[in-house]
Amino acid sequence: MTISDLPILSAVTFLPLAGALLIAVLPRSALGAIRGVALGTAVLTWILSLFVLVGYLPGRPGFQYGEAVDWIPLFGIQYKLGVDGLSVALVVLTTTLTAISILASFGPIQERVKEYMISFLVLEVGMVGVFLALDLFLFYVFWELVLVPMYLIIGIWGGTNRIYATIKFVLYTLVGSLLMLVAILATGWTYQATTGSWVGAFDLVTLRDFAAGGGFAPGFQMAAFLAFFLAFAIKVPMFPFHTWLPDAHVEAPTAGSVILAGILLKLGGYGFIRFALPLFPDAAQALAPAIIGLSLVAILYGAVVALVQPDFKKLVAYSSVSHMGFVTLGIFVFNEQALQGAILQMINHGLITGALFLLVGVLYERTHDRTIAKLGGVSNRLPLYAAVLGFFVFASGGLPGLSGFVGEFLVLVGTFQVAPLVAAAAALVMILGAGYLLYLFQRVAFGELSDFLRGLGHHLVDMKPVETLTLVPLATLVVVFGLFPGLLLTLVAGSVEATLASIGAGGGSGLALWR
Amino acid sequence: MLWTDIVAIAPVIAAVGVASAILLVDLAAPGRARLALAVALGGLALVALLVLATGTGRAAAFDGAYRVDGLTTFLHLLFLAIAALTIVVAPDYLEPRDLPVAEFAAVLVFAISGAMLIAGSTDLLVLFLALELMVLPGYLLAGFAKRDALATEGAIKYFLLGSFSSAIFLFGLAFTWGLTGTTRMAGVAEALATLVAGGGIAPGLAMGLAFMTTGVAFKIAAVPFHYWTPDAYQGSPTPVTGYLSVGPKVGAFAIVLRLFVEALGPLRADWLGVIAVLAVLTMSLGNLVALTQTNVKRMLAYSSIAHTGYILVGLAAYGAGRVEGLEGVLYYSAAYTFMNLGAFAVVAALQRRPGVTSALETFAGLGRREPWLGVLMTLFLISLTGIPPTAGFFAKAYVILAAVQAGGAIAWLAVIAVLNAAAAAFYYLRVVVYMYMREPAAEIVPLRHGRLLWTGLAVAGALTVVLGLLPGPILDSVREAARALL
Repeated sequence: MTISDLPILSAVTFLPLAGALLIAVLPRSALGAIRGVALGTAVLTWILSLFVLVGYLPGRPGFQYGEAVDWIPLFGIQYKLGVDGLSVALVVLTTTLTAISILASFGPIQERVKEYMISFLVLEVGMVGVFLALDLFLFYVFWELVLVPMYLIIGIWGGTNRIYATIKFVLYTLVGSLLMLVAILATGWTYQATTGSWVGAFDLVTLRDFAAGGGFAPGFQMAAFLAFFLAFAIKVPMFPFHTWLPDAHVEAPTAGSVILAGILLKLGGYGFIRFALPLFPDAAQALAPAIIGLSLVAILYGAVVALVQPDFKKLVAYSSVSHMGFVTLGIFVFNEQALQGAILQMINHGLITGALFLLVGVLYERTHDRTIAKLGGVSNRLPLYAAVLGFFVFASGGLPGLSGFVGEFLVLVGTFQVAPLVAAAAALVMILGAGYLLYLFQRVAFGELSDFLRGLGHHLVDMKPVETLTLVPLATLVVVFGLFPGLLLTLVAGSVEATLASIGAGGGSGLALWR
Repeated sequence: MLWTDIVAIAPVIAAVGVASAILLVDLAAPGRARLALAVALGGLALVALLVLATGTGRAAAFDGAYRVDGLTTFLHLLFLAIAALTIVVAPDYLEPRDLPVAEFAAVLVFAISGAMLIAGSTDLLVLFLALELMVLPGYLLAGFAKRDALATEGAIKYFLLGSFSSAIFLFGLAFTWGLTGTTRMAGVAEALATLVAGGGIAPGLAMGLAFMTTGVAFKIAAVPFHYWTPDAYQGSPTPVTGYLSVGPKVGAFAIVLRLFVEALGPLRADWLGVIAVLAVLTMSLGNLVALTQTNVKRMLAYSSIAHTGYILVGLAAYGAGRVEGLEGVLYYSAAYTFMNLGAFAVVAALQRRPGVTSALETFAGLGRREPWLGVLMTLFLISLTGIPPTAGFFAKAYVILAAVQAGGAIAWLAVIAVLNAAAAAFYYLRVVVYMYMREPAAEIVPLRHGRLLWTGLAVAGALTVVLGLLPGPILDSVREAARALL
């Protein structure tokens, strides 16, 4: 028996649940033990996920580490997990960010630590499960499992307006996802009605082949795609479904924002690539121009609104709308470079924006204020903080050599081949992006130390070792992926190819560009 | 009367026997509530065993007036579970208020024996008698706190509208009897099939159908026949409310299954439209009004109306030709039973301290004060919302699947149902907001709850999770029950 025979994917998925149960039986006052168990579980999960990554064979097509058990055989519903390059990358991103977020919560979260850590670990179960599930029904279960812990994290440990924000978050998400449930059930039913058997009716691989064989009629494709689209578009979030995002981000505790931006938004992009495109290729093709248009609007709108934000955190939130616009743009252009770029952008946005939210949190811990105008001149007193902030601001703005650049560049290259004008418009926004980020950095870091900050006196200290520790891995990855994007591109090449093949779009030479 | 007839109806007789035994014990040893409870729970367990022993296969009894089949067995077990859970969680609420526990249990078991009789009725008259046997003790229970003005008001409303609707229902039965010449359901179905095949139904029959639909709509609290529900639910003692929200409702759905599916099956095309419209109205209005409630009991009352609507979606899907719709109705009934009883049990537990209302503010800080109650209530509310991995989720998925399979206009019911579910999240999660995100005005000492209550809550909670995670085993009995009607 080799390691690949063990149900390692189930272990990665449910290890955090075991940690959560362990915490549940610990006494409320044992803060040290609770934090220790939470971090220990997250780190163990991370290590396990690295095993998956190391053992993953990028050259091999299809899904690896497959696990399948009948769950509800009556309807052919399976507990089926598996990874390809895309999901393995996102799973490792999830486990990394979760461990970092838990570590980053040690200081800021002093109330109800037990419930907090349980929520966070359950959240991890849902997120990892979404990326691993290969059965539509199972995918939906994990998809919704994410909702409740995030609802609690924003609602209990969030800012002043947290209840409004968290209910808005849940209602938006639920409307989309419940319609997706109808579409999922209809998809399985269509398969059953055509083939006469429930076996495989919710199995992604089976359904993908079924769709490739023209199993879904155009009218059905359109309706089902729209339902999936709504769920994913709300999650990404695409303009005009983004209005929950600024509220949720601003009110969420720091670690909540990190996960929200780093992982939850990726669930939408992942859903498009994994489910919406392969299952309903004709509808995706038909609606692509409209979605590209919306993506362009999101890129532009997010950047413009970010430019005028007086609130540090809200600025980063709107920058997410803009950056995620590149993801949806890259996905719906339907060529190799653009899709590669979209995937890279998802991962890099997770790293960079996650780091930016951590940095917002570091400053907020000291000042309890996020108004940019009050935060001037931190480089005078917090040189390390200013340097790290500068690094991630440049990464977010797409400085070549850092990872933020690669994704956006590839999306632009890919888009240019199809729609030069769209590419040109998006490229202009990149300049705007550099504008709002540099403007932010200039206001926060440089100039005289503001009166407000001076008034804080000795509370205003530079980054503590723990805070630095949370940011170092992210910075390292940003540099590594910036210099060697081929690492990621090789990993996801198979997924890109399979996705493009499923919608009948040709390849390109994006990979060669970076090798 | 044959021996086989007695065997067929033995569980119902046994249930009546258990109720009588509780009364006798209470007479012989007044004030010994624990003893009465032990008799009640032990008796119900015996009845359940009897159901399992006699409920295999399919057997008609009393010359076709009663039938034991998969549906009867399934519903019997469900009703017994309802009775047991209600009895287990009730003392925590009743005892501090000096309300007699033994009498409560006895009346409840009488009501349940009526519900059990419904489950096997295959004759219009037996069905009506069974219905009355179920609802009359219900009126009594609603007014159980007889010194409470609000409870009395609710009970009177419940009684008046209940009697009224029973009369309407009976009127409809009479029409059907008159026009088909029989009260046996098999005979009714046969006669109706001939009539339908002969080209259309007589106006009298249409009126009968309308009366029966109206009467049943009252009983299941479908909009616009729901007006009695909020007052009756809010006024009744909380454990009674819990029972009223599931027992008579599932009982009424048993009537729907036996009457509409079995006897009136040939008229499916005629009642399909009505049921679809009722489903839309009931889901939407129930949810809409629930959104505005600030009292949790009243909110749950409106939410139970909304759930009637979801169940009706399953019935409509059956009307459009999908047997999965019936399975959905049954699965939903079981899931709804446990999550709703659980939610009411938490409210009842909170009200162990007399004088505590069920206003939303009561829940402020509950998550911190009594963590387990908070966690369980969250679980039940998540399930009521329909979020996985809970019973409520799978139940919704089931009726939605059936509606999608039915296709056409019924598929739109699925869309309306999920949009309603999304809206409902707002008011369910508002309770979670109060439990975890609001602090109470004054610090309250945590209560101590009885072991029975915890048992009941644990069972309801476990079933809410198990029915969602591993629906396999119950799916088989649900299928068997639904197929029994065809």
